[in-house]
Amino acid sequence: MTQPATLPLVESLLDAPLPASGIAWLDAARQESRDAFASTGLPDTRVEAWKYTALRGLAQRRFAHGDATASGRAVDPSLLALPGVEGARLVFVNGVFRADLSTLDALPDGLTLQPLSRVLKDDAEPLRFGWSRSATRAEAHGAADAFARINAASAADGMVLRVAARATIAAPVQLVFIGADGEGELAWHARNLIELGEGASLTLIEQHLGDGGQAQLATFVSDIHVGAGAKLHHVTLQNAASAANLIRHSHLRLQARSEATLHVVELGGALVRHDLQVELLGDGAKLHTRGVFMPHGRQHIDTQLAIRHQALNTASSSNWRGVANDRARGVFRGAIVVAPGADGSDASLSNKNLLLSAGAEIDTKPELEIYADEVQAAHGATVGQLDERSLFYLRSRGIPLAEARALLTAAFCRAMLDDLPNPDLREHLSGLLIAQLPA
Amino acid sequence: MNEIMNEQSSTATALRDNAAVAEALGRSYSAGFVTQIEMTGLPPGLDEDTVRAISAVKGEPEWMTNWRLDAFRHWQTMPKPDWAKLNIDPIDYQAISYYAAPKKQPKSLDEVDPALLETYEKLGIPLHERAALAGVAVDAVFDSVSVGTTFRKQLADAGVLFCSMSEAIREYPGIVQKYLGSVVPTGDNFFAALNSAVFSDGSFVFIPKGVRCPMELSTYFRINAQNTGQFERTLIVAEEGAHVSYLEGCTAPKRDENQLHAAVVELVALEKAQIKYSTVQNWYPGDENGVGGIYNFVTKRGDCRGDDSKISWTQVETGSAITWKYPSVVLRGDRSVGEFYSVALTHHFQQADTGTKMIHLGKHTKSKIVSKGISAGRSSNSYRGLVKMEKGAEGARNYTQCDSLLIGKQCGAHTFPYMEVKNPSAIVEHEATTSKISDEQMFYCRSRGIAEEDAVSMIVDGFCKQVFRELPMEFAVEAKKLLEVSLEGAVG
Repeated sequence: MTQPATLPLVESLLDAPLPASGIAWLDAARQESRDAFASTGLPDTRVEAWKYTALRGLAQRRFAHGDATASGRAVDPSLLALPGVEGARLVFVNGVFRADLSTLDALPDGLTLQPLSRVLKDDAEPLRFGWSRSATRAEAHGAADAFARINAASAADGMVLRVAARATIAAPVQLVFIGADGEGELAWHARNLIELGEGASLTLIEQHLGDGGQAQLATFVSDIHVGAGAKLHHVTLQNAASAANLIRHSHLRLQARSEATLHVVELGGALVRHDLQVELLGDGAKLHTRGVFMPHGRQHIDTQLAIRHQALNTASSSNWRGVANDRARGVFRGAIVVAPGADGSDASLSNKNLLLSAGAEIDTKPELEIYADEVQAAHGATVGQLDERSLFYLRSRGIPLAEARALLTAAFCRAMLDDLPNPDLREHLSGLLIAQLPA
Repeated sequence: MNEIMNEQSSTATALRDNAAVAEALGRSYSAGFVTQIEMTGLPPGLDEDTVRAISAVKGEPEWMTNWRLDAFRHWQTMPKPDWAKLNIDPIDYQAISYYAAPKKQPKSLDEVDPALLETYEKLGIPLHERAALAGVAVDAVFDSVSVGTTFRKQLADAGVLFCSMSEAIREYPGIVQKYLGSVVPTGDNFFAALNSAVFSDGSFVFIPKGVRCPMELSTYFRINAQNTGQFERTLIVAEEGAHVSYLEGCTAPKRDENQLHAAVVELVALEKAQIKYSTVQNWYPGDENGVGGIYNFVTKRGDCRGDDSKISWTQVETGSAITWKYPSVVLRGDRSVGEFYSVALTHHFQQADTGTKMIHLGKHTKSKIVSKGISAGRSSNSYRGLVKMEKGAEGARNYTQCDSLLIGKQCGAHTFPYMEVKNPSAIVEHEATTSKISDEQMFYCRSRGIAEEDAVSMIVDGFCKQVFRELPMEFAVEAKKLLEVSLEGAVG
């Protein structure tokens, strides 16, 4: 561990005042999280989970805490529009809820959707259990979870979403985080709580946007609970500004016979890290994840997917693809754990990567940890280039090399979106992928 | 036939080595440090004097003593590695004797544990061999100096140097000094540093330019392998265009206590040279309650230093309470090739964290990894591998296949492959599966009248076939039988 207190980043995060809630348990929990962060500091690359993501550069930065004038910052509303997505919408600018940009009226029956800041003001008690649970989780991982701790200490806003038992929410709910330039380089934190009751169903679209040129640090912790028999489809589009540093923790818990489908597209940001942990807790729970990460320039995008099969007859299938260009670095870890007694688990994971330039790097690490024997588990990973034969085929039909490459690379990424049910959204995301490819 | 000849020659070498040791023992240490070293070895404990004493016992030149001392000083500053998926009880390095002379030997086979003899019977090891493996002092009747000298003469005629490491330090200091520690530096890792400081003996092989070694070399040739104890050091150098196949066998359970075994093996392949290194490791794994057994913490690394060179590791790991072993290849020369074929079986309370590293530096280098892990009982078996394509590894290729088989509900099978790619023209492929022996396979065998245990061993044999194919024939037969013996009681 590096000396926690001497790093400018740690110093500036610790200097920030804790949000005042006036709720004793919450203030205590925040103080505790901050003390924990102060004692361990940031992870260095000797910490296994951060082996490929060095925080040296980020650690030298100082961020001002929060944005006092976030509620007045101008945001182009057209940024928020997503084809094929028209429903309730919650928008945060620099981590602060913006009622003027959000659409919270006429919510369908069974859907509760509120900013965390409001819930904490009105009735914080129901959050108490969940809040402490994720704090203890961070405890177990030491410095590896430094950002989850600072988030637990400092996050004052975010989304609280609940779907009542057996409610089917037809229109997708849109959650948008926008990073905007402030008076100085900003750090902000958001905390999301999402709960689907028994047999409920929901589509959630999460967006990370920004067009500023200032460096930012944003941390996110999302606790997602999918009740028995419930269905969640969660699409994440990360297209943050190029100077934004995003550190996200998502933690999904799937109960019996529930199903979660995740699509993740990582395009923007400077240093981006996503810890995606899924626990299949109930018998027959199913998980399906698809993801694309496309770092270019000097971007660093790190996805840490950890899936834990803890119950009978659970299934997970994951398919992630990475394309690294210029001097960018893509990092992927895909760990599958089958706990003792989780018989009938069926787990598969694939991570394929393309390296487009000599300065780029891909580090991938699929893992299997199996403690039960009635199991089917497989993983595969590749790093390489486009298939020569496919290129030859296209060229033999008169398509110039550069164009053939672009076509195949686009197809390579787009394949991850093929099973996205919303065609308009699929086309929109595909368009963004293609735009990111070298011309 | 081969086995008998091996044994005879090893006896001959042993006699000669004993004489050498006896001679060394007669000397007093030149620095004025005098210890009455008896054949029982050094007392437990480790400090600079221990290192000096070992060096003195072996009559080593000063540069070697200093080399050991440097390693020892470095070792003292190093933390113990804790990243492997292993539960290792703390090791008291001061409680170990670092120069273990021959243990008390049984006088005849009648004194040997019947369970051990039964195992040998199953392995089909000839009686004389069994005696040697059980540590029985080999009767002079089996000794035939002539056969031994035939081998030595044949090797010498070809120009191959094959002797113990101690002998090599005395006889060929130039070569040893040039290559020792050049692949695994003294400070490479905790256990390699310890080994560098206190290694007792090992094998030295030097194949000169253009020579194809006329026979497969094996530690069997030298019985001193039996007595080298915990810290061996092996160095194999193949000069331009040379070929050698080396077999390392710890092919029978040694009845030892929970004991640390930290060996270092270094391979150097110059231009167009080829080295094939095969291991069948069956150290004492501890009993079915996890008591006792060897801690096998081994650093093995090959350096494809020249263009078009090739290094191939094949290992069958069935023994040891804990295995920590990653035979690796540094692919430095252009178009060099690295291979790793492994079967690792764990049963009862055994733990294995084993795999390989393929470091691609040269252009158009190729590596292939085939790893088969079998876990039974309450054991834990992990594959851990690194494939690294450095910036200069233009057009390099790797293919990794990594399968695990689970037998029983309480064992664990894990896979931790690391892939780091910095060259856009390199291709890395990794595939892994984990499953148990399917009920259909078992049913098929049983319905044809094959007993459950035989069916399991047939299926396991098929699972491992890809690796066994790479072993020299005698080893392959033995390895198959070893798996059968090791899996006894795993089903039902």
